[in-house]
Amino acid sequence: MKLTTKNRFNIVMGLITPVALLGLLAANPAAAREPFSADELAAQEQALLKQVNHGRDLWHGTLPSMTTNGLACGNCHPDAAASNPQTFPKFQANLGKVSPLRDMINWCIVVPQGGKALDVNGDDMIAMEAYAFYMHRGKKIEPGLATEQTTPVVVKSGRGFPWKGSGIGYDK
Amino acid sequence: MTDFDKMSRREFFTITGKAGLATLAASAIGTNFGMVQVAEAAVGKSKVTPFRFAILTDAHLFSQPDHKFDTMLEKAVNDCNNMKPMPDFVLYCGDIAQNGLDDQLQKGKRILSKLKMPLKVIPGEHDWYLDMGSAWRGHFGSPTWSFDHKGVHFIGMNSILVRDFWTKAGMSAKERMDVMEMLESPIAGPWGVREEQLDWLKKDVKKLSSDTPVVVFTHSPLWDYYPRWNFQTEDAPEIRSILKKFERVMSFHGHVHQTVYNKIGNMGSVGTLSTSWPWPYPDVKLAHPWSQMNRSDPGNFEDGQGAQYIDLESNFTAMTHYQPFGNMLNPAMKNGFKI
Repeated sequence: MKLTTKNRFNIVMGLITPVALLGLLAANPAAAREPFSADELAAQEQALLKQVNHGRDLWHGTLPSMTTNGLACGNCHPDAAASNPQTFPKFQANLGKVSPLRDMINWCIVVPQGGKALDVNGDDMIAMEAYAFYMHRGKKIEPGLATEQTTPVVVKSGRGFPWKGSGIGYDK
Repeated sequence: MTDFDKMSRREFFTITGKAGLATLAASAIGTNFGMVQVAEAAVGKSKVTPFRFAILTDAHLFSQPDHKFDTMLEKAVNDCNNMKPMPDFVLYCGDIAQNGLDDQLQKGKRILSKLKMPLKVIPGEHDWYLDMGSAWRGHFGSPTWSFDHKGVHFIGMNSILVRDFWTKAGMSAKERMDVMEMLESPIAGPWGVREEQLDWLKKDVKKLSSDTPVVVFTHSPLWDYYPRWNFQTEDAPEIRSILKKFERVMSFHGHVHQTVYNKIGNMGSVGTLSTSWPWPYPDVKLAHPWSQMNRSDPGNFEDGQGAQYIDLESNFTAMTHYQPFGNMLNPAMKNGFKI
């Protein structure tokens, strides 16, 4: 291979870049730390599932300010079906712009439910998103599809995520 | 002359409005409204006289005055009254109320009383579990009935009966209702018509000849569509077995809030549009995917909802027409479909 000026530049940058990245990792101990311990991972999962469960409750009407006409998210979206979180951001005709899921959640709260919008950065909104996304885990991310209804994970029993159950009836 | 022809609309609502007297009154005019009254076969071996009937379902009325769902049920009633030809009668497939409250049932009865034709009703779970059907029976009579009309045998049954999960848990009536209101509640378990109605059904059809056209109404589908959301009836196999002697059976059901068709053996099964909200399709591969409606527009409150009417022909084929408020039917359904 004939060494042109451009080739020489690429070779030099190819050697420098990995070294520079290693230097950055060394300067940031959080990114280079050992894998999390089993206890830490369990604690992280519990924190996530706590938010998922809170989102599921909100989804089914536990926050009165989210409705003035009795409707809850779960009326139209059982098991978070047809909320299509994996297709966001996408153009929402009703909002007139490319929007994230949280904007559509607030639109549903304000318009069909006649309720008060959630703080888009608040814990309740994070919980709502956590529930919707968790119920679509493993689904293909495909931003921009607005006309198709996607489906959530198939739920045989329980809440669709790890949950101790109420012990009543079939909720074991 | 048929059962419905024999009574005026005023007489019909008088009967359905007096639960305790419903069976007695019905018996007096030769109509079978109650579980104690088993139909005597008056049909079969003869052609159907063509006629139309309509189906409304799943209004889910709330207690608030001037709720948007009131308007949509009123609109569907108006649509029925303006059908040409006019339906001979209207069948309501359950869930008049959202929370099982008497005022919600009263409101539904008041709106439905504007129909210009007779009405028959079966219950849904939202009508039933606050007081175990007491108020509903007071307004609409027995949830189990049959009648004959122009050569066709019509059957209605209560398919939302669950096993007792509330007594042992010490739940209040409101708590029981709350459990039943949530579609994906894991607590209540499967629905069914249960033994008493299965026995009634056996007796009801015992004397009917196999060429009798039979139409059956339930709130939930008589096939295993998606059990998670009670898009099924646990003892549907027993129902289908009892009805298997007939050449053809048509089943119409509420609950699914969507268009859907399926066929098992001699039974064609049609889901119906609600007047409240559309439900998404579950992750199930439909045997007849053409019967799936387009995705509803969330910005249009009326989209994915409406009424339906069925034109029965002399050979007992049925042209089923969905009549949505919005334009959400795929081409295969726009002009009706045969079952």
